[in-house]
Amino acid sequence: MPYLIIDNRHIQVPRGTTVIDAAERLGIMIPRFCYLKVLGAVGACRMCAVMFEAGPVKGLQMSCMVQAADGMRVSTTHPEAVAFRRQIIEWLMINHPHDCPVCDEGGHCLLQDETISGGHSRRRYTGAKRTYPDQDLGPLVQHEMNRCIQCYRCVRFYQEYAGYRDLGVMGIASRIYYGRFSDGALESPFSGNLIDICPTGVYTDRPSRFLARRWDLQRADSICLHCSLGCNTVAGAHYRAVIRQESRENVRVNGSFICDRGRYGHAYANLAERPRQSRLDGEPAGWREAAREAAARLKRIAAAAGHSAIAVLGSARNSLETQIMLRYLSHHAQWRPPRFFVNGSEARSTAAVVARLDSRLAAGLPDLEEADFLLAVGVDPVNDAPMLALAMRQAARKGAKIVVLDPRPVELPFAFDLLSAGLGDLPAALAVLVKTAVSQAGTDGCEAQEKAFLAALPGRVPDEKLQGQLGQAGGWLAASRRPAIICGSAIAGPELAGLAADLALLLQTGKTPSRLFYLLPGPNAFGAGLLQRGSRYFPSLLQDIEKGGVRALLVVENDPFFRYPDQDRLHSALGKLELLMVLDYLPSRAARAAHIFLPGATVFEAGGSFINNCGLLQYAAPVHEGGIPLAQVSGGSHPPRAHAPAPGSEKCPSAYEALLFLANELAIRPPTMDASPWSLLPEDFPGQAELLAHPYPTDGLQLLPRLSEAESLQTPVNLPTSGPAAGALTVLRVEQTFGSEELSCYAEPLRQLAGPPLALLHGADADRAGVRDGEQLCFEIGGEKVELALQVTNRMAPGQLIIPHHYALGRAACRLPAVVAQAELRGLTGQDSPDLPQAITES
Amino acid sequence: MLPEEIRHRLETRIAASAHPRELVVDVMYELQNHYGFLNDVALREVAELLQLTPLEVEELATFYDFIYRRPVGRFVLHVCDGVVCWMFEEQSALDYICKLLGVAPGETTPDGQFTVLPTVCVGYCDHAPAMLINGKLYGPLTPEFIDRTLEELRSISCDLVLCR
Repeated sequence: MPYLIIDNRHIQVPRGTTVIDAAERLGIMIPRFCYLKVLGAVGACRMCAVMFEAGPVKGLQMSCMVQAADGMRVSTTHPEAVAFRRQIIEWLMINHPHDCPVCDEGGHCLLQDETISGGHSRRRYTGAKRTYPDQDLGPLVQHEMNRCIQCYRCVRFYQEYAGYRDLGVMGIASRIYYGRFSDGALESPFSGNLIDICPTGVYTDRPSRFLARRWDLQRADSICLHCSLGCNTVAGAHYRAVIRQESRENVRVNGSFICDRGRYGHAYANLAERPRQSRLDGEPAGWREAAREAAARLKRIAAAAGHSAIAVLGSARNSLETQIMLRYLSHHAQWRPPRFFVNGSEARSTAAVVARLDSRLAAGLPDLEEADFLLAVGVDPVNDAPMLALAMRQAARKGAKIVVLDPRPVELPFAFDLLSAGLGDLPAALAVLVKTAVSQAGTDGCEAQEKAFLAALPGRVPDEKLQGQLGQAGGWLAASRRPAIICGSAIAGPELAGLAADLALLLQTGKTPSRLFYLLPGPNAFGAGLLQRGSRYFPSLLQDIEKGGVRALLVVENDPFFRYPDQDRLHSALGKLELLMVLDYLPSRAARAAHIFLPGATVFEAGGSFINNCGLLQYAAPVHEGGIPLAQVSGGSHPPRAHAPAPGSEKCPSAYEALLFLANELAIRPPTMDASPWSLLPEDFPGQAELLAHPYPTDGLQLLPRLSEAESLQTPVNLPTSGPAAGALTVLRVEQTFGSEELSCYAEPLRQLAGPPLALLHGADADRAGVRDGEQLCFEIGGEKVELALQVTNRMAPGQLIIPHHYALGRAACRLPAVVAQAELRGLTGQDSPDLPQAITES
Repeated sequence: MLPEEIRHRLETRIAASAHPRELVVDVMYELQNHYGFLNDVALREVAELLQLTPLEVEELATFYDFIYRRPVGRFVLHVCDGVVCWMFEEQSALDYICKLLGVAPGETTPDGQFTVLPTVCVGYCDHAPAMLINGKLYGPLTPEFIDRTLEELRSISCDLVLCR
């Protein structure tokens, strides 16, 4: 632990800390341009020069390039260092345009700050400045190359850290140019980070261009809701619209960066079609009036048909407060326990994850970065949860072996082994891989139960090629010291989640202690999983509605129509309800169908707590009051000049507040508004005591048991066997980075990047079905057409037809069949096919 | 389109290399000598041969003085811009050549004969100031020597821009 003196202040830092970081720990911000902690030091910009007055290093040196050592005495204010830095900044400013007043970076520009603090205020250079044409880098990032000071941060992040290869540095000396080979949208789903790390305005946020100065924004710490990772952001609102998000550093979750889905997915909060008006039987009504009427009707239904005639549907995007309130309300009103998932498989997967994850197994994103072997199963990281891919890349950069076991043609920005297995084969393949590894590493530490479990695992998969690959990957796993299993929930069922936990436990008893990382279906799916205990799943609820057992349904921030496969059944069932009450901030189909509708508040207005996929409770602070964005009310004219409430400024109560109002109306032991939501927690909620001990809001609390109480390593091992019969294709509905997730698919720039929907098919299946790459598939379902282009690839598992959830496919796509016969495909391409291809008639 | 013979030769070399990326300069040269300069088609072919992105090839192509991304004349005059040649700056060879040919640095004469490019040190310091024309060194440069050299070049035939 080196001990050194910086500006006459003493500090001890861990070995390997650079002087620039040591100074930062003291609160001394040495000026810098090229240095960024996550990217490491390159010593290129010469801006962080300080004077080393005593110790092993002497003289003027770059503080990012020198490691702290015992006996160092460093001065950041030495006249020579100050003069040196002033010259550097003057030199960097030679070509920089004087466009700060019209530059979007102005006000939060590192170059601006350091020009001022460096003491350079008068231009001596009178020559011509070098200028460049700018490129169109797509809908997210605005390019303005004239402002560049050649720090290389962008290229180092884009190519080295994130692993994408379409933005780089060209030219040499005074012709140096950062950009793409030619105009076009940046390919990386992490491109928005260029905006955060560029020390000046070369890359600025395009959707919010010219809308506001940073200092005019209402800013607050927020949490990204566009997948289950819970990345930290800072959201900024202006004139009642959320216009910009930046990444917020959290070393336990996302590190320094966020993905573009998270950065640009907030448009749903500002939509012109966002429902703002409460409605009673289709007619506009006052909020209180509608809520009181809801309470009255609920009372009537409970009196006539019993309390259990009332059911509640929350969601995985509810805040934890809302979920707790739903549970509290339904418990005390003796309604049916709340459900949170429309999809039964998601509900069961989440239940399995919540039951199995404990602190001996759980890994976070930073743990994955340190792993030396990663086995991802049922996961397509870039499409399911992009930041996971970035963490995996950091492991790959440090030499980790990475294996992905998935039916999809997974693409990742680093070298990895893709083991293609059909959806039904995933559990068996995973079991074979781990069995190989444990057998190779030796079973010395294993006890009888573990040995029995190991013996019960299958040792082979039918596919010879896959068997060979699994054996090889098993060898890598056996040789690794810090492996981790990453298990997805988007396509695979609950069996996989349980098996992954068993196998991680099995590995922990052996010589390769493994960690476990799950993805979940939604930003607060973990909370939903904890609170759905004791409730049955949505499909059974639908049955009860059809039979008349349930007469009222309260839907809070969910849209059952969004992805429910049997839309007709859902429609007719919901039509049978005496009361469908919906509370939401999205212009959803359920909202339109509701008897009573209450507009809701987004996370930017209400704030809220969310539990991420690793069981980490995080708090998103409210960013602004809400209301209709001024641009929509004013018709483009100047914002009001007087200090009076502008039209449309009424804020929507949060779901928590609305439910509290309802509880009061129903005279259910009403908790007070200022009571902590944690006081409403059910007693069986894990971590209840710990939560109650913390003041509300609580941020950064890990809600995982030390040891899971769920049964583990049970024999016999029941693994689902292989998929559909020969000649049939399993239809896999998959996520896309952009354009499929419920909230972010409202964002126009992300829709542009999503491209048209593509169906994927293996080459062998395409040959047998007689269809070709580029043909148009056309399903006709319930009178509606679903059209998408067919892409043939051999990088995926045969026997699957992969179709993305895609905003452009519309609602009819929910009803795509679960299995399609190969022979049918030719008919679906709209071509006449009187003769079936030879291969099919034979089989 | 790259002739099959060149493509085959390059593919064989690339297949034999443990790190194909290290051949990028050689491949760029080969294609440049075929096309006369490294045009966009050639650049994409280099990228495809080495499984790089066009951007990654462009990063290198624009870094090196001897890869021409724009058409050049029959003779490319790489006038040395190194420190030792600067010491003879009172009779700047670059200025004289530009004035003589009526072009600015980086430009080609309208008759397509000469392209003038300032270049990092060509390593002919003992004959400074120096220049390199189609792979051959010339120096020390004086106005008379330059006049004579260019006059000679006008009268000889040399089809390819060749840099060694």
